[in-house]
Amino acid sequence: MAIIEAADLRKVFRRIVRQPGIAGAIGALFSREYEDKVAVDDVSFSLAEGELVGYLGPNGAGKSTTIKMLTGILVPTSGLLRVAGIVPSAHRQANAQNIGVVFGQRSQLYWDLPLRESFELLRSIYDVPRDRYLQNMRHFAEILDLERFLDTPVRQLSLGERMRGDFAAAMLHDPKIVYLDEPTIGLDVVAKEAIRVFIGQINRERGTTVILTTHDLADVERLTPRIILIDEGRVIYDGALERLRTEYGTHRILVVTTVDLPPEDFAVPGAVVEGRENNVVRLGFDRRSLTAEALIRRVLERYAISDVSIIEPDIDTIVRRIYLEGYQKDAVGAPS
Amino acid sequence: MQTRRMANVYRQYWRINILTTLEYRENFLIWFLFTFIYHGTAIASLWIVLERFPSMNGWNFRDMFFLYALWMVAHALHNTFFSTVGEIPDHIRDGEFDRLLVRPLDTLFQAIATPGQVFPDELVLALITFVAATLYSGVHVDAVFIIFVPLIVIGGALIDLGLNLIISTAAFWFVKVDALRWIFIQLEQEFTRYPLSIYSRSVRLLLTFVFPFAFMNYFPASYFLHKHEAALGVPPAAGLLTPVIGIVFVALAYVFWRFGLNRYQGVGH
Amino acid sequence: MAREATYRFDVFTTVGSFVVRVYLLRMVWTALYAHNAAPKDLSRHEIITYSTVALLMGIVMDIDQTRALNDKLRDGSIATDFMKPINVPLYFFADGTGEVLFHAALLVPSVLIALLIFHIIVPGPAVLAAFLLSFFLGYLVGFFLNFILNCTSFWTLEISAVQLIVTWLTDLLGGELIPLILFPAVLQQFIYVLPFAAMFSTPLLIYVGQIPPARYGEVMGLQLLWIVVLGAVSAVMWRAGARRVVVQGG
Repeated sequence: MAIIEAADLRKVFRRIVRQPGIAGAIGALFSREYEDKVAVDDVSFSLAEGELVGYLGPNGAGKSTTIKMLTGILVPTSGLLRVAGIVPSAHRQANAQNIGVVFGQRSQLYWDLPLRESFELLRSIYDVPRDRYLQNMRHFAEILDLERFLDTPVRQLSLGERMRGDFAAAMLHDPKIVYLDEPTIGLDVVAKEAIRVFIGQINRERGTTVILTTHDLADVERLTPRIILIDEGRVIYDGALERLRTEYGTHRILVVTTVDLPPEDFAVPGAVVEGRENNVVRLGFDRRSLTAEALIRRVLERYAISDVSIIEPDIDTIVRRIYLEGYQKDAVGAPS
Repeated sequence: MQTRRMANVYRQYWRINILTTLEYRENFLIWFLFTFIYHGTAIASLWIVLERFPSMNGWNFRDMFFLYALWMVAHALHNTFFSTVGEIPDHIRDGEFDRLLVRPLDTLFQAIATPGQVFPDELVLALITFVAATLYSGVHVDAVFIIFVPLIVIGGALIDLGLNLIISTAAFWFVKVDALRWIFIQLEQEFTRYPLSIYSRSVRLLLTFVFPFAFMNYFPASYFLHKHEAALGVPPAAGLLTPVIGIVFVALAYVFWRFGLNRYQGVGH
Repeated sequence: MAREATYRFDVFTTVGSFVVRVYLLRMVWTALYAHNAAPKDLSRHEIITYSTVALLMGIVMDIDQTRALNDKLRDGSIATDFMKPINVPLYFFADGTGEVLFHAALLVPSVLIALLIFHIIVPGPAVLAAFLLSFFLGYLVGFFLNFILNCTSFWTLEISAVQLIVTWLTDLLGGELIPLILFPAVLQQFIYVLPFAAMFSTPLLIYVGQIPPARYGEVMGLQLLWIVVLGAVSAVMWRAGARRVVVQGG
């Protein structure tokens, strides 16, 4: 049973086009010209209960507009949307009880007060029963290591500690779905890891459905088997992360260390020299037309080498390439 | 169900306010002094002027002190319970407003119950001033006075709330509403200090029917002090209508607020 | 762009508020003069002129030219200013000058409004010149007063409330709202011991002719005395504060 169902979801922002200057402002009073900007363009997807999905896209792609419609902040221009059986824009408050939201750049904790006070206020807002609240607090304190700073004013917390507090705050009322908007932004490596472990644990142990928007693709690699890529308001890819890697990660690099200084005209058929430094040469090649084994053989036929290694494309590179070139199913012969 | 939840949240809100104020004790003391001197200089100005000119359209210093004190209580009541409404434009600008929309409680209620450094110091000061002004002005304290004054003060606070809400709602269309707020605050604070009868007809109409500040203090004070000036031909008993005016004005402001909120949810910001 | 918007906002509020307040004071004085015996030598027209000119002066006087000092102490960037080869107090004076000039420019439309709509009295050139000189001296008194207040932020940072309090006291005790000569005798005794009268009251009373030319030397001498006294206090506080920053590192 799908917990989130979006069909042909569309959001058009209409803005008045104004000529600059006072004359333009007065002119706008009499005749109005509108300019439509399609922020989300016929987006459809469906999420099963307990899924963990990465929602990715460059800035301005329509990510946050989609999240705002899912949370009920914005009313869709057209299309159908159901979140846990509720139309969010029609029953915003009922929907709110089912969801938790973490905005990475904005805290919902009260700056001047101990962390505990924010939790108490949220308990009243979501009307969480006392015993359930205590149970959750114990659980979060354990996995997020909150105990240490529960009585510290939020303004004195480090960014990582504050973020952990924000996560607990969003989860206190046992939401069925959580939206995480850039949850690891600005965190150091250790804090990032703690947050990722927590997200995975919540998803596994409580069956919470998670939608994660992020720019840090390491979050996605670590956490989400499924990703939805969006660009210019349209879904350009929806599927397993692994599949994206096999389809798009076709560009590999063979790093070769030669015994002698490589000559100026160093070249190997089927590969492109992408960089050289002293005895090290980087050879780029396409996995579909040439195997690594064949390439190494060709190198050995021509030069004396002491070492080789292969660099696989990282997810960052793959996604960057898709943003730049667009996702073309035909070009890579992907199954539909 | 919602009501019980709101009551709980509201209790928590005041708990947090008090804790925050205690955390910043020095700030609180300085701002208390600030409030004290603000109202002190206003009342002192009236005294100085009326020492030299004993009557302003038939109002002496005792009357004017009562006029001021009545406005002061209503205004302080508003500042204590509803000043947070004035922060809505900031929430909209920095995106915090969206947070209120993803919580299962009424948006305006949440905006009102956003904790900060709020403390009822001005209200306490205003109540003391009002008692002093009542005794000093020799107003006849009868049953009507005791029943109606609290209602009039609440009505006056609602008029303030209505204005505050209208200006904050404008922030759904305009990024900065500070200039607008500033002009209206000045209009209210300075024009309510004097009897309405000193102004030209258009200003009287404005302060009675468009932005009904005259109902915060002038009309009720005229009634209690038996000033039969009949400014604008309004009968003296109109001063007892303040609660009704307050409710109507807030209701209109609320309709405007819903309209603005719908627009915000439709087009974003 | 943002700066332009701020300026537009400033023009709107400054000129708008000026018009509204002049209207209010006009109505107040008119009502007071209608029902009471007028003071013998200050006519209704004169007092309305007084209030209008006071509000015009306020457009420039109410600016805190040395606010940058407080800001810089708050964020700690003052320390870097001491490393630059500049005279730091002079730098703050120059920094605020732009804002002062902007507000001085706003005086032009405001004066036009005052002349055309509110018909204020314009005195003869000699009195006008004396007024302008005395206004400038008053401005300097205000400058040093602000500077001293901002210098206190070397020791305590929460001064915005204190500054507002001083502004109200200046408005009242400096004679911006009500001419000091109308104050009850009890108050008059200690008003002149405070520096506020030198800011507003002296130039304004020169303008409306309450101070005759024979007393110009005396009243402006008093203004000068305040400038010297407050200037000396400023210098002492600045030295002590600067030493504090240099020794303790801010």
